[in-house]
Amino acid sequence: MKNENAIIVKNVHKDFKLYYDKANTLKEKILFFNKKSRQKNDILHVLKDIDFNIKHGESVALIGTNGSGKSTLLKLLTKIIYPNKGKITINGKVTSLLELGAGFHPDFSGRENIYFNSSIFGLTKKEIDRRVDEIIKFSEIEEFIDNPVRTYSSGMYMRLAFSIAINVDADILLIDEILAVGDQHFQEKCFKKLKELKAMGKTIVIVTHNMNQVKEFCDRAIWLYHGDIKMDGKTDEVLKEYIKTCG
Amino acid sequence: MKKMKVFKDLYNYRELLSTNIKKEIRGKYKGSWLGVLWTFLNPLLMLVVYSLVFPYILRIKVPHYTIFMMVALVPWTFFTTAVQVGTGSVVANGNILKKVYFPREIIPISITTSSVINFLITCIIMFVFILFSGVGFSKYILFFPLIVLIEYLLTLGFAFILSAITVFVRDVDHFVSIILMLAFYVTPIIYKPEMLPAKFQWAIKVNPMAQIINAYRDILYYHQMPNLTSLGILIIVSLLFVILGYIIFKKLEKKFVEEL
Repeated sequence: MKNENAIIVKNVHKDFKLYYDKANTLKEKILFFNKKSRQKNDILHVLKDIDFNIKHGESVALIGTNGSGKSTLLKLLTKIIYPNKGKITINGKVTSLLELGAGFHPDFSGRENIYFNSSIFGLTKKEIDRRVDEIIKFSEIEEFIDNPVRTYSSGMYMRLAFSIAINVDADILLIDEILAVGDQHFQEKCFKKLKELKAMGKTIVIVTHNMNQVKEFCDRAIWLYHGDIKMDGKTDEVLKEYIKTCG
Repeated sequence: MKKMKVFKDLYNYRELLSTNIKKEIRGKYKGSWLGVLWTFLNPLLMLVVYSLVFPYILRIKVPHYTIFMMVALVPWTFFTTAVQVGTGSVVANGNILKKVYFPREIIPISITTSSVINFLITCIIMFVFILFSGVGFSKYILFFPLIVLIEYLLTLGFAFILSAITVFVRDVDHFVSIILMLAFYVTPIIYKPEMLPAKFQWAIKVNPMAQIINAYRDILYYHQMPNLTSLGILIIVSLLFVILGYIIFKKLEKKFVEEL
């Protein structure tokens, strides 16, 4: 059964508990079991009844002011956190570029970290072997690739991380504000690569505040406002409204 | 159907599992002068210390007391390290859990598996000791893989349950160390099971680790058939336990990131 939707989000709610003083140890949990003043925690409804589908091959931007729930939604899509209510269905392999370089081991070399990091994305050794040269070339750190990652500059670190994530060959890419990687030259390269992936029919979801990128890259925009979808439609139309309200 | 998905997920992420295990074994000694050599040196020195110290402080009248104790202590050390490290493993990997998705059960599985590999390396050295002490081997050593498997499953069950609970109640870590210390004395490791007073004998009966240790000792030290009824029960118990642990882990994992 081939589904035309890559991502189906159905009536999703997400709440976070706000702890004023979190009881983490057993002693605290028992001692302050009844004390409302300490235990009182408000519930923050980050997402309320979110409902949308994304088709295969669509590029969608999630826009909205800080705290509108964009990143939470992206985390839900990657299965890092789970909704309190509702259901998320993903058809296809997902790569998230939420936090680049998660799982880098500073004492191991760049090359070894390519293996570690790619394996977190679910690649097998053979698949990584095939990609490793491409990744090294893209990251432009050929000469340092066998040095420990702790000796890298932050730019090199991010470049390596981005190159790994982009070469995973997933069907669905989830990107959180990452096009701020490296210098101008590298950023342009990343952007070009993303366009290539888009042309290949990958589904891409981006969270960003950079409206130019949204305009240039995405077919569709979803505007989140205080945990609700305020508007969902063609990029131009949504952006026009968005800028009218927020700009 | 559901059960198949468990294995499919793990199979897809097999590379992560194996790099994690390698990281666990190699990373431990990274930066030390002797590097991976410590994987062998550590258990060797441990066994040397045991064989020098225990025969003098514990005067229990059994022939080859060092071997008597070693065949129990080495599997016991595997169990305690894996349980202890496993308990804190999800919390320790909190940073990476918050950033990327991968099947969470990989964490306790790779801790337990790297511990069992370390254990097997230690066993090689232990076998050399057994050979040179004159105790030697018997055909019953064929049971060895089965007993290791039972212990592995049991340990994995503990790692699943404890690592998940620790995310919510951090104290579990401390309880575990105390309980393991107590368990050391109600498991016939440095003494014979008969030496425990009659009123405590039940503790050995209900303690799966005591049964496992007895089985190791039967095949490696006494050169006799292990108690098959007890082995049969152990297989069933450890299988059920690992399934239970997995179910608990899966139930709790959805809340991990918010609690870390």
